[in-house]
Amino acid sequence: MSGAVKRFRVMAVIAGVMSLLLWFVDLPVAYLFNNEDWKAKVAWIPFVHGWVYAVYLLAAIQFSVKARWELRRVIWLALAGTLPIASFIAERKIVKTYS
Amino acid sequence: MKTQLIIKKFFQGAAVISLALIFIALGNWQLDRSVIVKELNASAKVIDPKIYSLGKLAEPSVTLDSRNVNKSASLSGFYVANFKAPVQKDIDGQVSDWEVALLQVDGSVPESGILVVRGLWADRLNNPEVAMSTRVEIVGAIQPHQNDDRAENVPGVISRLDSSVIVGLTDLELYDGFVVAKSEKTSAGELIRERVVAAPPVSKVAGYYWQHISYVAIWWLMAAIVLYLPFYRRSIKP
Repeated sequence: MSGAVKRFRVMAVIAGVMSLLLWFVDLPVAYLFNNEDWKAKVAWIPFVHGWVYAVYLLAAIQFSVKARWELRRVIWLALAGTLPIASFIAERKIVKTYS
Repeated sequence: MKTQLIIKKFFQGAAVISLALIFIALGNWQLDRSVIVKELNASAKVIDPKIYSLGKLAEPSVTLDSRNVNKSASLSGFYVANFKAPVQKDIDGQVSDWEVALLQVDGSVPESGILVVRGLWADRLNNPEVAMSTRVEIVGAIQPHQNDDRAENVPGVISRLDSSVIVGLTDLELYDGFVVAKSEKTSAGELIRERVVAAPPVSKVAGYYWQHISYVAIWWLMAAIVLYLPFYRRSIKP
């Protein structure tokens, strides 16, 4: 169980950072500014976020299965990786309960 | 009671399968988008020295095959309309207004037309000998239509290099995409003017190949998770 919590914590922090970058750096550059140089410089963000979220999802599912969570909580945990800050909140709550 | 349970299980199973199919379809959609991005990136890098006749690379009213983007096409016909295409960026990033003509393609049945970028708008008066009755032979690079407007669509001006913008102005069957002329020849000889080289086409699909592949992985992973859910057993409280 502690292994699953550790894996989830690591992925929650990384996914949270990537979500913040995606929402507050990549999306404004892509849709608010017409600057190709900036777009090229932030192009790695959605790419990395996509793969990080896939791994986050695996970590979240593994943790949920081990913790035998109810379905609604599992879905919320999965979605937390897509919203900025939400995965940090999920990580804090899980640490409080399971560490 | 047993019938109710069977009905409930049936609807649960149907919901799980429907959801899984939706996720698989979303993954397939992202896979298609990744292929479009990859093909366009690959075509932008291809330098094919061969000159093809236009008919080998494109057909009127048919979407341009992305594998033919940037290839050199030879075509001939008569210019039947002229437009200004404002705020166009060339390969060096230089922004200027371009002169674009609608070429009625020689001997085409049904009569068809394609947009040809002739050069800079500022040089449009350099070749006064070219009239609507002058047959012009062109060699140029074929490009996909643009998706973003650069200006307002007003008479004599096209908002972007896209034949769909002028579809109401002509009876010709229009080719998708446009040709950027490298040379123009009439019976009197070659027309000398400064030529432009178009900037690499921008994909209508936003993002990058591996980004879309990551979304494919996520959607298919979601589908796998949904299929696993009926076998998931939980306790009430942690």
